[in-house]
Order: sequence, then C-alpha cells, then structure tokens
Amino acid sequence: MDIMNIIVCVLLFSGLFFLTGGAVGILRFPDFYSRLHPAGKLDTLGSFLAMTAFALFNLHHFSLGALLTSLKILLIVVFIFLASPTATHGIVDAGVRAGLAPWTKGEKRR
Amino acid sequence: MKIIGLIITVVTGALLFYAAGDFPAWSDPASPASTYLSPHFIEKTMEETSVPNIVTAVLADYRSFDTMFETAVIFSAGVVCFFLLRISRREDEEPETRYYRHVLTGVTIQLKEGHKMPPSADFERIDSMWTPPDLIIKTGCRLLIPFVQLFGLYVIAHGHHSPGGGFQGGVILGASVILLAISHDLRTAVRRMSEKLIGILCAAGVLIYACTGALCLLLKLNFLDYSALAGILHVDPITARSHGILMVEIGVGIAVLATMIWIYNNISSAGRYRQGL
Repeated sequence: MDIMNIIVCVLLFSGLFFLTGGAVGILRFPDFYSRLHPAGKLDTLGSFLAMTAFALFNLHHFSLGALLTSLKILLIVVFIFLASPTATHGIVDAGVRAGLAPWTKGEKRR
Repeated sequence: MKIIGLIITVVTGALLFYAAGDFPAWSDPASPASTYLSPHFIEKTMEETSVPNIVTAVLADYRSFDTMFETAVIFSAGVVCFFLLRISRREDEEPETRYYRHVLTGVTIQLKEGHKMPPSADFERIDSMWTPPDLIIKTGCRLLIPFVQLFGLYVIAHGHHSPGGGFQGGVILGASVILLAISHDLRTAVRRMSEKLIGILCAAGVLIYACTGALCLLLKLNFLDYSALAGILHVDPITARSHGILMVEIGVGIAVLATMIWIYNNISSAGRYRQGL
C-alpha cells in the first residue's frame, strides 16, 4: 500500500461524500431554488474530487499514453466546472423570470 | 378517412407481426448473419479497408448505400420542417414595426410602418419578445462553444478509430450553434448562420456523399466502391477505402449539422424566426 493509493482513496471517498450529500439535498430541501443549490454545488465538487482520483489512479503505470488519458480526465473536470454552475444559474434565472417566489421559513415544502 | 387510416395501420401491423415469425431466432448461431456475414466483417475489415472500427467500416463502406439514404432521410426531415412551419411575411400584412436597441446604453427605439435603420455597429435589431441575455450564461457559453465545436470535428475525424462519425459529430456541431441561440438570442445565431446558408449546407452534405459515389462510378468501379479513388488520391486501394469513408463522413456531418440547426430554428420560433414562441 503506497502513498498514492491512500491519496486516491481519500479523494474518492470525499468525492463520494459530497455526491451523497448532493443527492440527499435534492431529495430533502423544501423548494425549487434550494434543491438546485446542492445540484449545482455539491455535484461539481464531488465529481471534481472523484475525477482527480481517477486521473491519479490512472498514472500508476506511468507512460506518455497514461499521462494523456489523465489530462483528458482533468479536461472533463474543467468543462464540468464551467458548464454545471452555468446551467444551474440558467435554471434559477428562468425560475425568477417565470415569477416563482422563493420558499420562506414556516411555509409548506413544495 | 380516419377509419381507413386505422384499417391500413392495423393490417400493416398484423402483416409485419406475421412476417416477424419467419425471422431467425434471436442470436441463432445457424442464421445466415452469424454463419458468414459477421465473421467476415470481424476478420476481414482490417485487411480490406484498414479501418480499426468495424462499425464505421460496415456503416460507411460495406453498407454505404443504406447510409446514403439515411442521410437523405435526415435532409428531408429538415426540409419538411421548413415547409410545414416556416411563415414568411405576406404582402397584405401591415408593415412591420422594428425595434432597435442601442448596445451600450440599452435604449430601445421603435420604428413603425416598415421603416428601417441603416446597419451600424451601435444598434442591434431585436424582437418584441426580447429579454436581455444573462451575462453569466453568455460568458459561460462563449467559453464552451469553441471546445464543443472542436470536439465535434474530432468525433467526425476520429470515427475510424473510436466511437463516432458523421452523424454524432454533426449533432455535436449543430448543438454548439443551438447553444449560441439559447444563450444569446435566435437573431444572433441566424446572423452567424443564415437560413440560406443552412439550406445550402443541408443539401451540400447529401451531395458530397452522392458525388463520392458517382466519382467511383466514373472511375469504372461500382457506385460507392472507394477503392476506385486510389488513382486520384495516390494511395493503394485499401487506404483509398479508408479515405473514402472519411469523405462521406464529412458529407454526413455537414448534412446533420445543418438539419439540426434548421429544425431548431423553425420549431423554437414557430416558423417566424423571432424570439419567443
């Protein structure tokens, strides 16, 4: 068990932690806007950590091809980082423009 | 009329079900497809076409004729969408009211009775349903669109070696322009790719495919037998088949790209090419 494996495991499990938190949040939060919050934030962070773990694990047998694959995995992370929060922002924006009022404390969940 | 349609549908469906009984059983090892066709493709594709991806070779070489008409189907889908939905301005309609927005200040000017403003960099023409595009979404999409297009080109060109090809790459390329239309407005996207250009590209894609086939015919081999291109491309006949596949994939990509945008433009604006349904 070398140091690399430990790092990969830690990254993978923390990614899993955030993804699970995101899933729980989508199910439990009371309204449209607050449900989008975990969907936009935790999924991005969770996939960032998990993908970094994959990229590191892929470098176990170091070669130019493996490095290229790892770089491609990291590119996926970059694009998720750009696209996912932008999409969430777009959906929230559409909700505001359609006139959906945000949930306040004491109201029923919807 | 409806009853006749129903009867025709039921009879055709019953005939199809009756005929389906004659098919060889699912994954039957003794069926003609499994006894000589699949083994031939699996064993001989590499030495006959030098394409590692068997699916691409079957799609664009062995069954090229089929794929050509699939492309034609996509082309006709775009054309049908255009003919059914597109509403052009009629003569007897009252003159259009145009809106122009000053880009820097956001002041909007209304010009009635068909008056026009000379084209200038300060003003952009907008529609009555126009809503200001969000800065974050605009910037995010501006960053993403070039990479989406690059990936689309990669998928078309790399179809020989990895999953992909003309249809998939064309869809990705079309999606990048649709993303522009969503994040900005339809007018911006149409300014980049006018309706005329889309129509021409749509037909040109199918034409490239058919012309590649006809070229093989002119060079004294069968229609779409790419080994005929060896003389023009200065390569051996096997590599020529690989290059021929790339040529038709490019044609397919262009046709699919244009059709995607054409269908989106017509459906999203109900044929009026204006913002908002």
